[in-house]
Amino acid sequence: MLKMIDVSKVFRTELVETHALTDFSLTVGEGEFVTITGPSGCGKTTFLNIAGLLETLSSGQYLLDGVDVSTLSDYQRAKLRNQKIGFIFQSFNLMPDLNLFDNIDVPLRYRGMKGAERRERIEQALEAVGLAARKKHVPSQLSGGQQQRVAIARALVGEPRFLLADEPTGNLDSNTAQGVMELLNEINDKGTTIIMVTHDEQLAQRSQRNIHILDGRIANPVLTPLKTPGESTAAMA
Amino acid sequence: MDIGPIFRAMTRNKLGVILIALQIAFTMTVIINAIFIINERSRLMARPSGVDEANLFHLVSVGFGEGFNEEIAARDDMEMLRRLPGVANASVVNAVPVSGSGSGTGVRLTDDESSPSNFTAIYRVDEQAIDTMDLDIIAGEGFTIGDVRNRQRNSEAVSDITVLTETLARDLFPDEAVNDVVGNTVWVPGGIPLQVVGIVRQLQAPWQNNTIERSMLVPENVIDGSSMYLVRSEPGQRDRVMAEVEEALVAANGSRIIRDMRSLEETREGTYRIDSAMSTVLWVVIITLVFITSMGIVGLAVFGINRRRKQIGTRRALGATRPQILGYFMVENLLITGVGVTLGAVLTIAFSILLTTNFNMPAMGWHYTPLGMLALLAIGQLAVWGPSRGAARIEPAIATRSV
Repeated sequence: MLKMIDVSKVFRTELVETHALTDFSLTVGEGEFVTITGPSGCGKTTFLNIAGLLETLSSGQYLLDGVDVSTLSDYQRAKLRNQKIGFIFQSFNLMPDLNLFDNIDVPLRYRGMKGAERRERIEQALEAVGLAARKKHVPSQLSGGQQQRVAIARALVGEPRFLLADEPTGNLDSNTAQGVMELLNEINDKGTTIIMVTHDEQLAQRSQRNIHILDGRIANPVLTPLKTPGESTAAMA
Repeated sequence: MDIGPIFRAMTRNKLGVILIALQIAFTMTVIINAIFIINERSRLMARPSGVDEANLFHLVSVGFGEGFNEEIAARDDMEMLRRLPGVANASVVNAVPVSGSGSGTGVRLTDDESSPSNFTAIYRVDEQAIDTMDLDIIAGEGFTIGDVRNRQRNSEAVSDITVLTETLARDLFPDEAVNDVVGNTVWVPGGIPLQVVGIVRQLQAPWQNNTIERSMLVPENVIDGSSMYLVRSEPGQRDRVMAEVEEALVAANGSRIIRDMRSLEETREGTYRIDSAMSTVLWVVIITLVFITSMGIVGLAVFGINRRRKQIGTRRALGATRPQILGYFMVENLLITGVGVTLGAVLTIAFSILLTTNFNMPAMGWHYTPLGMLALLAIGQLAVWGPSRGAARIEPAIATRSV
């Protein structure tokens, strides 16, 4: 479970102080599919970065699976990211010099997993996203949709508890985006908690719960889900 | 460790890697061979000449006045110099070691001019020269005043005895113990026999070639218009004695001039000046090459890191710790430098063979190449350490930024 209590994030320079998140409180339960919406600059990405332990918070408390992450060192945060969180980025963030196999291998190597187990997991992940035959290809040889599927495979290969997606369909056409959303729904159906930042209100409405952020605060403090877990796949069909 | 993926990623960016690896290989080839040449020169320059260099000095007395008698002047000068306070001994010689100027001759075991000969330096000296030079007699004896003969320049040798260096004795009589060489006869050109009366441990020739340890002394005084005097001071008094000797000689005889007064240390320095300068130039080349190569490594690393900032952020987001990012770039550099030093090892050995074959250089010791490889690997790691630390400080949040 992910729980933020009165979390604030302030960016300071010599001249400017920017309040990206203010008294932000949110609880995301096991297996939920939550979307985060809001206008540009409202704090969506900052929320995602804090949720994914990519940035520290200025004040408040953040509990990830019961662990107060605000007290963790950089090293401990990296280990926690590696073990519990999967990331999907808008521009895929694949390593252009590595083939698909090596790209998906990246988080597993940081976990120190043995070669045989890594190989088996990578084969399964590539199979799951339908790209097993192209494991020796480099990202530039794939379409945008295929690249995002590789990124999803990379995010899932470590079997994370939480999947954080930053505009995962933002760089895709509507048909490809639909395919990616179906894949995410399948993943969610299998129990992975997903938090997805999106500009697309239609996609947001299809999640179990939508959080709308305005000026660093939750604008719609809805406490009950839009849909119960398990309903999302049917809604998308 | 990520060696496999790092290597595979490198193969997709070949040009930069190949260029820097070639630079490392070239640098290694040059610096190892340069260090070998410097060490070789230093070893040659540091060889002892066998004489008491710290306390010896030499000068030339040139007569010009009517009635100047070189033989008498030299005899009187020696008597006067040997009585001077601070002078341990003085002699008339035709040359001094490491000066670059002297006489040489072929020496044989028979009077057959067609038989093989050993080239050797020949010192024509008075009976005190062995003591003046502070040579170590290891067999037989030196000369007496009765042994010394006067001869005119370009005339044939008039002496009939000689003292050899140990190296020359062993080269001439390889099957005999040094003690047994004493009493043997050797021949110099003109069919002149010289009986060996003594062996000294070492007396280098005036020149610096591969016959430098071969010398022979004969008790002769060459009358040719000028005399070279060799003077040994008591320890630590050389500089004072040099000034006093010059004054004394000028005062003793106004029919000659004293010139070219130098300590043997000055003579050695002058003889090896070109070698010292060459070593300095080579060190400058080495330092410059290492600096340029280090900058090349830093430049490639910084360029690679800046180009991959988002990748680094993504790796951090995917769970890489700072030490793992640091390790990634250190290993990447190790692989690039490894390719460079491997190629460099081949080039180094090839270049060394070229020098040995064409320039009569001694063969390079086997340890130079592996030590050079290790040094270049260490330089590469030092050069990439700073940029790698910078990469490790890149925040993971950069992964979610659009630019």
